[in-house]
Amino acid sequence: MKRMMFVMLAALLMLPAVAQEVEVTSRQRLLEGVEGPAYYPVLNSAGDRLLFSSEEGALKLHDFADGVTTVVTRDYVAGRDACFGRDGKVFFVTQRVGEDHLVYRTGQCYDASTRKADVVTPTRHGAMRAVPAEQGDAAWTEGSRVHVTVGGEERVFSPVDSWAGYLWASLSPDGQRVAFFAAGKGIVVIDLRGQVVAMLGNYEMPCWYNNNYIVAQNAKDDGHQFTSSQLLLLKADGTWQTELTKPASMTMQPTCGGGKIVYTTIDGLLYEMKINIYE
Amino acid sequence: MKKSILQLSMMALLAVFTVNVVSAQQPHVYINPGHGGYDSDDRNMVIYPFTQGDSAGSWESKSNLRKGLALKEILEKKGYKTSISRVTNTTADDLALSTIVALCNQSGADVFYSVHSNATGTSAVNNFPMVFYRGYTGSPQVANADVLAADLEPYLYASQSTVWTHNYQIWGDWSFRPEWGTQGYGVLRGNHAVANLSEGSFHDYIPEAYRLLSPYYCWMEGWNISLGADKYFNRLDNFGQGVVTGNVRDDRIKRLQENPQPFIVYGDDNLMPVHDATVRLLDAGGNEVQRCVTDTLRNGIYVFKYVNPGTYTVEVSSPKHFTQTAQVTVSANAPTYQNFFLKRVRDTPPVVVDYSPVWHEGDPAVKCSTPIVLTFNWDMDDETTCNAFRLDPPVEGTFEWQDSYYRLVFTPIDAFDVNTLYTLTLDKSAEHGGGTPMDEDFVMQFYTQKRNHLEELAVFPYEGAPVHYKTPTVELRVDSMLDTYNLFQRLRVLDSEGTELAWNKRNIKYNKKGDDYGYIRVPLVKDIEPGKQYHLILDADIADTAGIHLPAARDIVFQGVDAGADKPGMAVVEEFELAADFYAGTHSTVSTSTERLFGNKSLQVDYRLEYSWDGWETIIQPAGSPPAIDVAYAPGDTLGVHVWGDLSYNDLYVVIRLEHTGGEVWYKLGTIDFHGWRYLSVPLNTLPDDEDVIRFGGFIVMEGDRSFSINGTIRFDNLLRAESSGIDEARLANMQLTVNDDYIVVSADTWVQGLELLDINGRNVKAAGGNCLNVADVESGIYLVRVHINGRTTTQKVAIK
Repeated sequence: MKRMMFVMLAALLMLPAVAQEVEVTSRQRLLEGVEGPAYYPVLNSAGDRLLFSSEEGALKLHDFADGVTTVVTRDYVAGRDACFGRDGKVFFVTQRVGEDHLVYRTGQCYDASTRKADVVTPTRHGAMRAVPAEQGDAAWTEGSRVHVTVGGEERVFSPVDSWAGYLWASLSPDGQRVAFFAAGKGIVVIDLRGQVVAMLGNYEMPCWYNNNYIVAQNAKDDGHQFTSSQLLLLKADGTWQTELTKPASMTMQPTCGGGKIVYTTIDGLLYEMKINIYE
Repeated sequence: MKKSILQLSMMALLAVFTVNVVSAQQPHVYINPGHGGYDSDDRNMVIYPFTQGDSAGSWESKSNLRKGLALKEILEKKGYKTSISRVTNTTADDLALSTIVALCNQSGADVFYSVHSNATGTSAVNNFPMVFYRGYTGSPQVANADVLAADLEPYLYASQSTVWTHNYQIWGDWSFRPEWGTQGYGVLRGNHAVANLSEGSFHDYIPEAYRLLSPYYCWMEGWNISLGADKYFNRLDNFGQGVVTGNVRDDRIKRLQENPQPFIVYGDDNLMPVHDATVRLLDAGGNEVQRCVTDTLRNGIYVFKYVNPGTYTVEVSSPKHFTQTAQVTVSANAPTYQNFFLKRVRDTPPVVVDYSPVWHEGDPAVKCSTPIVLTFNWDMDDETTCNAFRLDPPVEGTFEWQDSYYRLVFTPIDAFDVNTLYTLTLDKSAEHGGGTPMDEDFVMQFYTQKRNHLEELAVFPYEGAPVHYKTPTVELRVDSMLDTYNLFQRLRVLDSEGTELAWNKRNIKYNKKGDDYGYIRVPLVKDIEPGKQYHLILDADIADTAGIHLPAARDIVFQGVDAGADKPGMAVVEEFELAADFYAGTHSTVSTSTERLFGNKSLQVDYRLEYSWDGWETIIQPAGSPPAIDVAYAPGDTLGVHVWGDLSYNDLYVVIRLEHTGGEVWYKLGTIDFHGWRYLSVPLNTLPDDEDVIRFGGFIVMEGDRSFSINGTIRFDNLLRAESSGIDEARLANMQLTVNDDYIVVSADTWVQGLELLDINGRNVKAAGGNCLNVADVESGIYLVRVHINGRTTTQKVAIK
């Protein structure tokens, strides 16, 4: 009897998966034996180039086509929040602590073809971030506001309350929706009018896998350090989600591009994952 | 603050830099009050009167938030720009560490403080400030994080409102937690700001947990962190107001330890904080500038915020204390600490309100270990009260104050004398804490019982005892129930170098209600070494439940031995492997045990002595007819057996059956005054002259003079036999026995009457008169030769080839 109950229960639980299934077709280590610990990976939209930060914070650029990894800059903070622009350009921020102990930041652009970086935003005290705008449009957050520029027009929205603020805004590949994280609320998807399309749950670091799916991180901690970090695939309309890595894993900081998912682990091991989604 | 969003040419760069510009010299501090939400990743200290999970109690998230909000308020007042990761204490705002880091980075803050308190997580109790930054100690991953920490810690450590146990510590998290590799603390990982995680104090130091309940105390930590920021940004001179803070405690009353478990306190934390004390800050003209009331949460903290520099008077009043004042000088952007120790108002003379023992003529006598307890209406002065204490006849003892000097306990160092009338006089010169003496003397009397020391009934090992080396068991038996609290710590076994051997505490046995005597029985964890000397130390304070203790400490020397060691000249004649070969009395059972010295098993007998004409006894003998075990001995042989004892103090005999007369002789092997294995032996002499064939007939356990019980367990392993040669040397000193190819020849300085050859079971094989026996036709093997010489007989084992 117990066995029958279990079978019936399992069948019920499988119902959502019957409608939609995800198959992880490959999962492989990247730059194994070549690079040390690597964090904050960022794929370009084509998925053929990868930015990441070394353990020491240096910003590096890996080209999947030729397998060459280039050091963009050894500035400590540059490896985090760097992003791609058109024509292979890489945008990043460097910082230094002044004699007055204030932090001064500089916006820079790296041209892979010349292997040179130029200052594009002069050094100043205060916040400075590079925002991805590979296709021309962009979305970014500041405080409890999400900024969207489409066709040169900037729109600012505050669709949900979040005292601590918003993070990790990004445009969908078709430029029609914005996903971002609202502290205390989780991942929010809005349209270009600022209307909430879906609330996807209290996960972090959303990245668009395609126009319909988002990969995100579900990290847990004990107040001092991480206790687990799992990757999830979320349907952008909020109707479905599934696990890409195990709940007890330490997989984090996902980035998507060209049908690939790249992520790192707590100890800085880069992985590339490919999936098939059956709808 | 000037703020703008700067968009660079998207057409040219196709990327955007967002720039949030603050005024050029305005530092931006990101504050992260650690934890949050009274949930699983929070830290709840259960302290009286709060219960587990009560949000009104001690939670790290709550005190962290109070500190963080105070820091935000103070820094903004000082002209800083601030950001903070939470302003409430809910699970929803208990943000993931990676989120906090991202928010800090997005804010563009110059420095980041994650505000926490610490816990040892062990039984160790400490209290000191610590701060961490990302990287190895001395080598921060973000430049200047070590400088920020070094600027902060002296201000935290300067607090005089707490009691520190150690100096402050500054660590790189990779050095502090090497087991985490370079993962480090989550809020420092990937953080671009000059970041510190500050553990301001230890919340598992219970007095500190009470202090952290005080919003004033938390505010002061925020203030002190702000000073660290001021130092770091060279802004100490930018703020024109100071603070006055401190602690209000009673000057004598001890802190009530009402926590579920008594807790450790250090220094001034031994004194009770004063509740509801009104603290006023008065200016030079006596005008009240600020007023503050201490709470009822056992911390006594007060604070006056944002005080202009100058000289002030702090006045503290409490309904039960004399008002106290202190003059303080306030400096700009600096704390002024002023602690108070209030004297209680004691408005009547001291009297003894209760005492013990209470005894009147005709009452039962008082136990000789009973302490004298005097309870007063006021907290008493130690010196005048102890000086006023006179006992007749005098007894040497110790004084202990309890309940904050309200109760005095006098305990005799040894014990009161037996059958003695004691008179205690507390002279009226005894004073309370306020200096007022008693109005009259206090006098009491009591008469003592006839017993004043614990009597040792048995101890193993006893002085000089041979103790089998295998995890020996130690036992002490006394004449009343032992107080078992930490009793095992009052017995110690030391090796010859003074190293203490560990007890196997899992197998410790104590007396229990209904036992006939008090005892502790405990084995050692490890073996001792044969041939080495050991000491069993019994402390004099081993006491019974009435507090009657041993008359003196004891140092008992004993010897490690191997009870199973080879015995030269001894042959094994029975191995005791089969329980079916033996039976015992009606109320006893025979079995085998794996607790053995040899082979696979030993013979175990769980017995209950039965009454007979000879006294209380049980007989253990070979089963069957003829007996399953038929072992022959010869007069003058030595019988040896390995015996496992249980310290029963019953006597053990071996039964020897006499073939000719059909009678039997009992030889006493010894008293079971030991635990574990021991080798016991006895010479089989003093037999009737005509008995030359004798056989092993079993054992008898009999109640001895000092027996503890008619029930017990005894085990036997390998029964041995030694030939009589070398045993009866006085009688047969010059006899020599040789075996050549055909003959056994005995020579002696007296007449040899004849020889008998017996098989190993005692059956006669061949005999001859005189001193020679032809054995040419005898099969090879082991035999016994019984020699009749000088009117006596002796038997030896021989091998015929």
